[in-house]
Amino acid sequence: MNPFPERNPRVAWREIDGETVIISPADSQVHELNETASLMWANADGKHSVDEIAGVIAARYEVELREAKADVDELIEVLSAKGLLQASKSAEVPVGA
Amino acid sequence: MGPQASAQDSLRPLHISIGRVPISLSIPTPNLREKALTRYREFTADSEGGFPVVLRSDAQSDARPARNDPNFCYVLDDASLRLDSSGAEFHGVRHEYALDSLIRILLTMVLLPQRGFLLHAATVVRDGRAYVFMGRSGAGKSTVASLSPAGTVLTDEISLLRFSDDCWQAYGTPFWGEFRAAGQNEHYPIAGVYTLVQSTQDRVEGLTTKEMIRALLPCVLFFNSKVESNEDLLRLLLGFVEQVPCHLLHFRRNDGFWKVVAA
Repeated sequence: MNPFPERNPRVAWREIDGETVIISPADSQVHELNETASLMWANADGKHSVDEIAGVIAARYEVELREAKADVDELIEVLSAKGLLQASKSAEVPVGA
Repeated sequence: MGPQASAQDSLRPLHISIGRVPISLSIPTPNLREKALTRYREFTADSEGGFPVVLRSDAQSDARPARNDPNFCYVLDDASLRLDSSGAEFHGVRHEYALDSLIRILLTMVLLPQRGFLLHAATVVRDGRAYVFMGRSGAGKSTVASLSPAGTVLTDEISLLRFSDDCWQAYGTPFWGEFRAAGQNEHYPIAGVYTLVQSTQDRVEGLTTKEMIRALLPCVLFFNSKVESNEDLLRLLLGFVEQVPCHLLHFRRNDGFWKVVAA
């Protein structure tokens, strides 16, 4: 798992009322993220570590860091599987794949 | 008219205008040109200078877009479209259905920077304003259109919405269900957009911005896989939702829904 999660630059997204809508042009899929996932997404810029993102979520929702970290790990796994997060900086999802 | 005149006619571009997008179609096949004339008769334009579209009978061998091709390419069965800033080429168009599909795809591309888009929706005019009833196949677009007075329906299948004259307007299109040649080349300010839900009662429900974007996205015709264009689309739809009232319409299969829509 990438210790510095990063959004796939080949997706389009907008935050709407605290939640995120993502379009994956390669397969024309629309994805929606709830508030917590949107907070993680907003920080998945390749500069914040998983621990730092978990810290942001723990502070915002007043939950244990360990619990937030587990949520972030799961989110990264799910979003990576969908090709929305980059596995690593050098591994991009090709258009039309 | 003799065969020579007919042949000369087929060399002249056919000028049409859909949603204020002028297009000059060069159709070398007389039979296909004749069918296009019939289908787009309400949308023919006098003026030249429309976006040039040339039909080529050959299927383009390298129609699949290269990854970094700056131009837009789209393959639809045996036909394909290639578009750059100077014009478009349609390849392998053997019948009017393919021509119609490629024109729709072209329009989605041309409209986006002009703040417009195509939507799976029927549009009906009432008291000078356009009511847009949105939904995928089977949602009830044709039903709503058939329950509306003759002459008030701008389209029963594909609506063209664009920001012009300082407001969002719905334009008539030649794109009707079951490939009927109909439509009026008129436009009206949009009163509201209604997502169709067949029900046992007639009721209108407000939608939040997020709910409306969620409802809109699957109904927007869009074929561009470039990230920037998809970002432009999201931005455009957000602007649309902020300015146009959007609702969920629960409706029975009779004209009673107008009582809650135009209340």
